[in-house]
Amino acid sequence: MNVSRSTGWMAATAAALWLGLGQADEFTQEDLQRWNQEFMEVVKEGDRLFHGGFPSKNTVSCDQCHPNATNTHPETYPKFQKQLGEVVPMWRMINWCIENPLESEPLPADDPRMTALQAYIHWERRGAKLEPGKH
Amino acid sequence: MRRFQLLAAAAIAAIGLQGVAAAPPLGLPPVPIPPDNPQSQDKIKLGDRLFNDKRFSADGKVACATCHKREKGFTDQKPVSEGFRNLRGTRNAPTIVNAAYMKTLFWDGREPDLEGQAKQPFVNPVEGGLPDHGPMLEVIRKDPEYVQAFKSVFGVEAGDITIDHVAKAIAAFERTVISGNSPFDRWRYGGEPDALDEAQKRGFEVFVGKGRCVSCHVIEQTQALFTDNRFHNIGVGFKKIRGREFQVAREFLRAKRAGADVDKTVLTKPEASELGRFAVTENLTQVGAFKTPTLRNVAVTFPYMHDGSLETLEDVVDFYNNGGRLREDDPVSPFLSGGIRPLDLSDEEKKDLVAFLKALTSPEYAQIAQNR
Amino acid sequence: MNRRNFLKTGLGAAAVGALPMSLVEIAWGAKDEERFTFAYISDSHITHVRGNEFVRNWDRGLIRAVAECNLLDPRPDFVVYGGDIAQLGKPEEIDHGLEILSGLRDKVYYVMGEHDYYVDLGDYWRKRLGPDWYAFDHKGVHFIVLNSILTYSEWTHKKWESGMARMKEMARLDNPNGSPFMVGEEQRKWLAQDLAKVDRDTPIVVCSHSPLQKIYKGWNFWTEDAEEIHKLLAPFKKVTVIYGHVHQIQYNQIGNISFYAVMATAWPWPYPNTYALAESHLPKLTVPMNRADPFFERDATGWQLIDVHSGRVDTHYFLPDNTNRSVVFDEKRGHPVDTRYQAVAARIPPQQHY
Repeated sequence: MNVSRSTGWMAATAAALWLGLGQADEFTQEDLQRWNQEFMEVVKEGDRLFHGGFPSKNTVSCDQCHPNATNTHPETYPKFQKQLGEVVPMWRMINWCIENPLESEPLPADDPRMTALQAYIHWERRGAKLEPGKH
Repeated sequence: MRRFQLLAAAAIAAIGLQGVAAAPPLGLPPVPIPPDNPQSQDKIKLGDRLFNDKRFSADGKVACATCHKREKGFTDQKPVSEGFRNLRGTRNAPTIVNAAYMKTLFWDGREPDLEGQAKQPFVNPVEGGLPDHGPMLEVIRKDPEYVQAFKSVFGVEAGDITIDHVAKAIAAFERTVISGNSPFDRWRYGGEPDALDEAQKRGFEVFVGKGRCVSCHVIEQTQALFTDNRFHNIGVGFKKIRGREFQVAREFLRAKRAGADVDKTVLTKPEASELGRFAVTENLTQVGAFKTPTLRNVAVTFPYMHDGSLETLEDVVDFYNNGGRLREDDPVSPFLSGGIRPLDLSDEEKKDLVAFLKALTSPEYAQIAQNR
Repeated sequence: MNRRNFLKTGLGAAAVGALPMSLVEIAWGAKDEERFTFAYISDSHITHVRGNEFVRNWDRGLIRAVAECNLLDPRPDFVVYGGDIAQLGKPEEIDHGLEILSGLRDKVYYVMGEHDYYVDLGDYWRKRLGPDWYAFDHKGVHFIVLNSILTYSEWTHKKWESGMARMKEMARLDNPNGSPFMVGEEQRKWLAQDLAKVDRDTPIVVCSHSPLQKIYKGWNFWTEDAEEIHKLLAPFKKVTVIYGHVHQIQYNQIGNISFYAVMATAWPWPYPNTYALAESHLPKLTVPMNRADPFFERDATGWQLIDVHSGRVDTHYFLPDNTNRSVVFDEKRGHPVDTRYQAVAARIPPQQHY
């Protein structure tokens, strides 16, 4: 293998890599729309769960105390939550509400319903500035 | 966690505890010291002696230490305390341990600080039984050791010693009766994963979870006082005035308007006692509400509740598990706090919770707990 | 002031609102003609779960309000119940709520709420309690009770799958498919006739469920024909409107009308201005109630003692797990003020809502 051939091969490989990676990094308006639709589907599911769709054992639902997810303060987590005695991410407090006012079984952190509830809550609070730890 | 302790120690050094600065034990914040009653070794020693002096009572047999015995976790381990001539009051003697952190004193918070609290029992008709503070001040003024001590601590001559000086010295002593460093503290704040056994660890999860304990018996990220310093009606004792709340409240208020002393009334009249915080604030939303006690050393401070009506921790857990009543078919108080409701704990969870409560004993009292 | 003085003396002076009994005694000593009090309980949302089971939290709220109200000494002249006894208007909910309320030692006047109404358009409620709009006179004050939770008849009489389907739509506060509350033409006509018989100097107290003002339409903190009602009330010197529905402390002054909202016994609602995505009009005068700790199920709920004197109204809020509040009519300023927290500097962190 001579030097020039080897260099030419390397250059060709580099060019191919460059192009390939470049394509993977690009996303289109169409992608954005689709991804946003995917997200909004989950928001919609969260909205449903939040407004009586969650199988609450005592019929109490999230929106009874939090119309439009107000007074949930997603922008303040993680924060110290005195009902739990430590600094927690938001899903822990959602579970607290599920177990206490709703008297129902808590969800695993990565349960799709937990994701959906958080998606809806964050969506209703979009635009609020991050204030971690704020009580 | 280590860093938090260092910061706490630095904070004490910075505010200065007049020569008796000691880093607070694991799990506790620095002891708050009022600016008008700084700590000193002499004052603490004087307070200790006053605390144990039985001459400050009508029959010469009752000291502070009678109801707050060091060897009983600074309680008397009786349902309600016995004063001079074995007269009984209406309330369980709370522990002195860590009382320095309390934002109000007595079960109904009728005194704002240890100094205010310390003056009352001497002259209560079912405790010290003195007509006023005069006789005890006479004893002090005639005791050369006391005269010398008050002079060196407060710079007063015998004739100028007042009950306020006495109260300050006792409070200074009480501010040294501080205990943390329990197995729980070593596990949670000391980085010792094995300081609790498995049952106690499960019990902790019940405590902060399904048991709903932590909202009133506060645990935080770096410290745990196990009290919120607030007043709640948890259902204890309500049967004693059930259906008669209106009459009892009316009678109490009429007596109070006519000049009756709250301290004396609530300790001598069992029905008025059950009005709780209401007797102090006259706030209708505080009928039957009592202060949240700390749970530190709870294994040695039995029996429990403001009237000492629950004998064991198992009973206490049952009481909460049934939503503020010992038995499931007992009536529920209409004045019950919104924090209290049936918990649906399993037998296993109840056992674990009791195991956790027993992990709150500081080393100073561990032996007493074992002897029970 | 040091803590000792505050606790020992400050409390007595500062906590007038927290001392109903002595307060009422003072009131009796005053020279005002026909001074009297009544209690106000509202929004219990008794919820049937299944069989004999009801949501415990809401039950306890009403039970506690009744028990505390029964301790008032001297007794209030009567009690007004401000609407929403039930969550979904079911007969078993209304029955259960009325059973708890039957523990009250005083006569009760009832106001209709939307949660009592939309399942059967108020039939069961009226069967138990009588008409849903009426007037009465008490010690020189003319009281008017309105049903202010009616709405456009096209919405009410849509092709609903069932009365319960309609109820559930109206029960959801933030429902974009809801419909605005109103008093409606029939009642306004009646109101005009009723008021025609009343002397302009006679103090008037109106009890409604919805606010009789326009605060936030998205949650029906709203009455569509509020301005028309205001016009009917305009000729009178002293007018007070007391309303439920909002589950929070609000007060306001619009022209000659003073407004006071009452607390729910069930649960608190956030202030509409905390919904960042929509504009609302919280009355400027209002110093908000404290933000609640949901552990204490009665926190930011409560009931009221209303003190009527010289035709004006003072509202004393009884707030378990919170400091009681008093909002009183200030003659000099001509509007209601909070006796403790009105000045911006006097407000406390929990009154911040975001």
